[in-house]
Amino acid sequence: MLALVALAACVHLGMVFLHVAPSNTVTKQHGRAIDEWIYPEFEQNWKLFAPNPLQQNIAVQVRAEVKATDGTVGTTQWYDLSAADGRAIDGNLLPSHTQQNELRRAWDFFVATHDTTNRPNGLRGDLSERYLRRIVVLRLDREGAGGPDAVVQQVQVRARTTNVPPPRWSEEQVSDKPVLRQLPWWPVAEKDRAAGTRPVDRTGTMASGR
Amino acid sequence: MTDTDHHSAADGVRAGAPDRLGRLDRADRRPARIVARLTGQALGPYQSAVIRIGFAGTWLLFLLREFPHRQEMYGPDGPWSFDLAQQLTASNHAFTVLMWADSQVWFELVYAFAVFSSVLFALGWHTRATSVLFLVGVLSLQNRSIFMGDGGDNVIHLMSIYLVLTRCGQVWSLDERRARLRAERAGEGADRARTDRAGTDRAGAVLWAVLGAVLAVATLAGKVDGGFAGGWLTVLWGLWAVQGLWWSAGRYARSDQPRILLDVVANVVHNAALFVIMAEACLIYATAGWYKIQGSRWQDGTAVYYPLHLDYFSPWPALSGLLSASGVMVMLVTYGTVIAQVAFPFTLFNRRVKNVLLAGMMTEHAVIALVLGLPFFSLAMIAADAVFLPTSFLRRLGGWATRAREGLARACGRLSSRVARTRLGRALPGPREGAPRPAETAAEAGTAAGTGTAGTAEEPHVGFTAVPTPSP
Repeated sequence: MLALVALAACVHLGMVFLHVAPSNTVTKQHGRAIDEWIYPEFEQNWKLFAPNPLQQNIAVQVRAEVKATDGTVGTTQWYDLSAADGRAIDGNLLPSHTQQNELRRAWDFFVATHDTTNRPNGLRGDLSERYLRRIVVLRLDREGAGGPDAVVQQVQVRARTTNVPPPRWSEEQVSDKPVLRQLPWWPVAEKDRAAGTRPVDRTGTMASGR
Repeated sequence: MTDTDHHSAADGVRAGAPDRLGRLDRADRRPARIVARLTGQALGPYQSAVIRIGFAGTWLLFLLREFPHRQEMYGPDGPWSFDLAQQLTASNHAFTVLMWADSQVWFELVYAFAVFSSVLFALGWHTRATSVLFLVGVLSLQNRSIFMGDGGDNVIHLMSIYLVLTRCGQVWSLDERRARLRAERAGEGADRARTDRAGTDRAGAVLWAVLGAVLAVATLAGKVDGGFAGGWLTVLWGLWAVQGLWWSAGRYARSDQPRILLDVVANVVHNAALFVIMAEACLIYATAGWYKIQGSRWQDGTAVYYPLHLDYFSPWPALSGLLSASGVMVMLVTYGTVIAQVAFPFTLFNRRVKNVLLAGMMTEHAVIALVLGLPFFSLAMIAADAVFLPTSFLRRLGGWATRAREGLARACGRLSSRVARTRLGRALPGPREGAPRPAETAAEAGTAAGTGTAGTAEEPHVGFTAVPTPSP
């Protein structure tokens, strides 16, 4: 019994070790068995700020095409959602995951599941796109984009990546010019509207919105 | 495992027996003694209790803090909608009861359940059962929206699984208090536990029956994933069956044998799980450290500067600026972090070095909580670190907590003072307890261990193994 439990513990630790270790001879041969043991409940990633910490501020921004109550259609300004997150975190002893992780990780998820031309790679790519869209629609609603009762019909997301300026005591030079990655306009369907962001006058606006 | 505390004790014994015969004899007996220790005791009662309180407390505080944001994070109509979550869990088979229904009421129930299960688990009320409830709460919320979490959530996720396998309610728990009160009431009779057992653990029996009924309904409704081998169905029913077995062994068995056997099994599983928890903490530090070594920023000594200047991790920009004002300071912290993380697992072989480094790690996490705005991640990491704290320190901590509470209670009046004295955290640790419930008393666990592996009680209770023998 003792041996059996000890064996189970050692096998488990071995699997976890191989899961967190860099790709190697064993993981190349038995990657599948390891993944089957680890996923989904023992998945882990401890490359905390490693191998290098992130050295860019990535700001996710969004603008929308909105339809006002009088039927006029217009395009809003760019809203810097990450900056809003940053303001919410400033001076906050207990930042919420909704401020610190939600948008940041949604964008990471999007980048990881799309190629450079913004094409999704399968199911996860599709999910990440819908997730990001629901987040920005929710945030636009909170910002009151387009005025009261205006309905967001399309959204466009872009990421503005700026290098963290090197320390004053360093002689390093990095470009301070932001790099933009702009996604195509996405139409906003009914299923992209999260809680509380649906048009007030559902039948009327929906009919004209479609 | 940090057997360092035990090492020092063993060293003392060795010095007192210099003759070769004695040494031979000792070497001969060593494997047997190791087996006896691993089967006869659930090691590290204070360490397992402190991580129970640490992880359950962290999760509880997190849930309370996020209460206003719960809909957005885990609700059926949050950005990560029920539909999106369903597609992902269908492909990865993660366990979450939140996917059982997309109703608002169900969501609120599950959130409340997660809150209450972490309260009960932290308090150590029927620890074995509530550890499973805690697990269900953690997995249900986290697996519902996996893109909401960070490293802190990940630690709690893993540890909530491992904790189910430990006897983490031996001390600082309502279980311990109940067992102590019962022992006091029953006096010193040898079979006090037996006569007492059925009558007083009614809550445990009811809990067991209710959980069984809930599980049956969920099973019949086809909500629980997994077939016979390794699936969640097997895990949950298995845990439930073990609890029932434990209870019936105490209640109906003619002899002590079945209970002793179960006690040994529980000890072995606990010891293995505690070892896994420690190894997991080491893996976290090793991974974090060794990967950093490969990074150019960690090599050139500027790495720490960068997170301090990310908008998402700088709640106090002025403070961040101050901390990174000196290049030499940044380099010292950068190198120090890597050295500490890489070295940590190896320092476990030396008690003193381990303790110094442990204090350093906990301090660094406390600083990270404030400076990088990661309070719950840091709290979870501190809880993980706490598994390596020496028993002597933890007992002193328990003493302080008791005194602080009693002082507070005195100030509040006589009534509350009475409550405080009978609460958990008495400096005097009760008999061991906490394994499969219901209907188990600490006293019987203690007796069982004593009979099962005679000889373990003679060992000096030093450091890590300080499981006190029951008073009789």
